[in-house]
Amino acid sequence: MKHATIFLLYVSQYMKTRLTYRIDMLMEIMSDLLFQAVNLIFILVVFGHTDMLSGWSKDEIIFIYGFFLVPFAIFGAFFNIWDFNERYIVKGEMDRILTRPVHSLFQIILERMELESLFGVITGIAVMVYAGNRLDLNVSWYDPIVFVFMVLGGAFVYAGIFILLASISFWSDSRTSIMPMMYNIGNYGRYPVDIYNKVIRFVLTWILPFAFVGVYPSAYFLGREEWYVYAFLTPVMGVAFFGFAIFMWNIGVTKYRGAGN
Amino acid sequence: MDKVIDVQSLRKDFKSHSSRSGLKGAFRDLFTRNYKVISAVNDISFTVNEGEMVGYIGENGAGKSTSIKMLTGILTPTSGTVRVNGMDPHKEREKFVSSIGVVFGQRSQLWWDIAVQESFRLLKKVYNVPDDVYNDHMNHVIESLDIGPLLDKPVRKLSLGQRMRCELAAALLHNPKLLFLDEPTIGLDVLVKLKIRNFLKEINEKYKTTILLTTHDLTDIEALCERVVMLDEGQIIYDGKLAKLRSNWGEGKQIEFQFGEQVSLENLQPLLTELQAEWTKGDRDNVWIANVVNEEHVISEVIGRVVAANRITDIKIHEISTEEIIRNIYEEGVING
Repeated sequence: MKHATIFLLYVSQYMKTRLTYRIDMLMEIMSDLLFQAVNLIFILVVFGHTDMLSGWSKDEIIFIYGFFLVPFAIFGAFFNIWDFNERYIVKGEMDRILTRPVHSLFQIILERMELESLFGVITGIAVMVYAGNRLDLNVSWYDPIVFVFMVLGGAFVYAGIFILLASISFWSDSRTSIMPMMYNIGNYGRYPVDIYNKVIRFVLTWILPFAFVGVYPSAYFLGREEWYVYAFLTPVMGVAFFGFAIFMWNIGVTKYRGAGN
Repeated sequence: MDKVIDVQSLRKDFKSHSSRSGLKGAFRDLFTRNYKVISAVNDISFTVNEGEMVGYIGENGAGKSTSIKMLTGILTPTSGTVRVNGMDPHKEREKFVSSIGVVFGQRSQLWWDIAVQESFRLLKKVYNVPDDVYNDHMNHVIESLDIGPLLDKPVRKLSLGQRMRCELAAALLHNPKLLFLDEPTIGLDVLVKLKIRNFLKEINEKYKTTILLTTHDLTDIEALCERVVMLDEGQIIYDGKLAKLRSNWGEGKQIEFQFGEQVSLENLQPLLTELQAEWTKGDRDNVWIANVVNEEHVISEVIGRVVAANRITDIKIHEISTEEIIRNIYEEGVING
């Protein structure tokens, strides 16, 4: 309860400061939209040369992309802590965080949130509706509920991976270029994993389970029954990965060395 | 009296790798690294009772910050025990930190972009302070620190002195029993310093708040603290009354004479025979300083003899300042008193 009220208070503060920088906010939403459009165009260009990609049609791939945008937007809004190392470890802001009586990761999430990213939920759903219509998908009454679980599972998988990466900073505070690389690998989850070779598929399923953010959960909505096991694993993977990440984070905090003054 | 802080043989080691020199060395570093273990804090023990104001001093790198960070639960000790407010800081961190207040002079607790009172509102929620307690306590704090007119301004528009007063108010929002202040007056002008000092004295009297103060500005310590803990190379080299430090180390006075004519050491030396005193040359022409023991008859004897034998244009008597005492102690390394 305490956490919920703190969260709402932070959100309202965030809105207040963001609304004073309206142009900034607009630019951010515009650049997000542009980024998504470029990705869509890329898919269209690929399908300009072929009709099927390992048995997946253009509209299916577009649907997967649309689905991916939704958990990715939630991740981007709350767990986008790619600059954790620099901001909190090197500059020593973690000291301040640790002198407050709220879980350290929760505070950082609140400080680093970027609610503009949530706009991606709308674009994602729009893309899914468009592709779904062309594919003539039936929607049952329970599908929206399943959708919510799949999205949360996917967002947790993403969050877990990035929290794990951020936790590395507690042990080694040297700068790494691992974060940008992760964003690239994350993009592989947007395409059907059976187009990759076995090793990559294994990595995307079990090591860096980005496939659970895009293709696996979408397979459920596309009625691809051969993938149902993976699809329903999505929330499980999300909770497991997120839990593991928080566990590692908590160990990491005890290893925090502080920045010199 | 209750022990607020109880530290027993506390130690913190840092492992750091030392890089070899040259390109060849850099390649060797890739495969095997030389690790060096440095004890930033090496086996310190002390206790602080409720209501005390303790000055915590030491040169840069003496282990002040590291030990403060262990006391506030930021760092985990390598070995030893720490009990603060009856809790183990790093084990029960979240519960523990709501019983302390922290001001890091070089780091802001407040949110840069939002108004001060909004920051207070967020912190009030974070610390779970009930409305009536908050109003009663904070109205008083805001009034004594004179920050009422600043509350609706964003932090980035405040001057350093204004910001520091707001930081202090923020750290006291939940009325903690124990307050850690790390360089709270760094870069502030005299008036703001005085205001902050008076305020600290006041809350210490009113709420019996225990205060641990780290600073390089010894006048802060002289104004506030009866007791000092002095660190050097990770160890406590003095723990006791400031007054005792002064009387043990600050014994003796300096009498500075400005002579009306050229004098030499040979002329002056005979004047001090059979007295516990000696001459050093001052930094200006014709200025000589007699270092004497702090005893009335010696001081008057020295002045009497010098004045009788020479033409004097000015005389000053200095007491040795705390800063000099502390510098002397660090130069000699150990304390024997």
